[in-house]
Amino acid sequence: MIRTLRNPAVALGALCCTLFATGTALAQQDKGKAVYDKVCVACHSAGIAGAPRLGDAKAWAPRIKTGIDTLYGSALKGKAPAMPAKGGATDLPDADIKAAVDYMVAAAKDGGSGAAATAPAAAAPAAAAAAATKPRPAALSFNRLLKPASKRNPPPPEDGIHDPQNDGTHALQPPLQVFESLPRSNAGNRVDWVKALDNNLIAPRWDRTDPAAAPVVMDLNIVREVKGSMPDVVYPHKQHTAWLDCSNCHPQIFIPQKGANQISMAAILLGQKCGVCHGKVAFPVSECRICHSKKKNVMPVKNAQAN
Amino acid sequence: MTGSASLRAALAVPLLAIALTVGLSAESRAEYADVVLNRNAEKEGMRPVVFPHWFHRIRFRCKVCHAELGFKMRAGSNLVTMGDIIDGRFCGACHNGQIAWAPENCDLCHSGKPGLPPGIFGGHETNGPGIW
Repeated sequence: MIRTLRNPAVALGALCCTLFATGTALAQQDKGKAVYDKVCVACHSAGIAGAPRLGDAKAWAPRIKTGIDTLYGSALKGKAPAMPAKGGATDLPDADIKAAVDYMVAAAKDGGSGAAATAPAAAAPAAAAAAATKPRPAALSFNRLLKPASKRNPPPPEDGIHDPQNDGTHALQPPLQVFESLPRSNAGNRVDWVKALDNNLIAPRWDRTDPAAAPVVMDLNIVREVKGSMPDVVYPHKQHTAWLDCSNCHPQIFIPQKGANQISMAAILLGQKCGVCHGKVAFPVSECRICHSKKKNVMPVKNAQAN
Repeated sequence: MTGSASLRAALAVPLLAIALTVGLSAESRAEYADVVLNRNAEKEGMRPVVFPHWFHRIRFRCKVCHAELGFKMRAGSNLVTMGDIIDGRFCGACHNGQIAWAPENCDLCHSGKPGLPPGIFGGHETNGPGIW
């Protein structure tokens, strides 16, 4: 220590070398993780088709024994029964694939010990934070029944209906992965599906087999005057026929004849009429003004003054 | 005999409580319009099926399944069996290894928590029988 201090140039050089070496090693690790997250994760997180899982020391040990070059070879050229060459991402350079292999091998070697080593480090600041702000009982939390943004659209293993013990659950697509790129709304999936379709952000098929088939969209608004003080309802055929076939609604749910359909919010809440879809899969009834959107003719001024 | 019956009853109460908690907590967090199919699955020794509407509506319009494939628009009104699927009906019209992955990936569909009742999950606001 003293010696290096005597020669600052040497010390600086040594420091730079160390930093550079650590930097490249970290960059390599990040690259490996990035490739893993993009490509390998499809099988190696859930262990699909016999793929050794990330961090599963037991499954990786015999493979690591065969040597890193054998592992590189399997990853680059593929391996029976299910591993495709480069995990299917043949456009990636060899170095990226090797980095991903290194990343997975390192994770397997870490296994339990890596997780155990990081746990106390992570626990320390958490404990400090907990001491600073003592957790309040859930009953006192603000907006108790309103889900915070972090609890919306959870990935399948955390959503409460998928079984996290099931391997397949971990292979399912998390909703947020897709929803982040779609226009948001305030209810339902919190996705504005109509806007997503209008803006060509999604391209759902109209035909089971033919990707080019397009719907015959019918642009016809039906205005339904409502009795109360709510604005009148404008029903747009356009947005509905972009998703649905006429036979989905006519004639069983709605008789295609003016004045033949009695619709009430009570019926909708019971799952009839609009409520067959709205409130279950289409936007729910809490979004009043999407349907009740046509301002009523204002009362004559004379009457308004009389009141 | 009575002993075993009371034992069964004693076991049934906590099990029921667990089932209720699972059911209630599930409703609050599941993705909007997720459907659980469990009329046959658990009887046959498989996990319940979870059908995610959101995933499918990104890829297909409603009409494909609800007009062409004959899925009625009410949860619980479609009795789908693996026989149907393998013969190319219902899910099997696409899940045949050509349009979507084939039915041998059991655990991708049969991924629900054991004990879930069939029905629509995920914060739906309308209820009841409907006409479908």
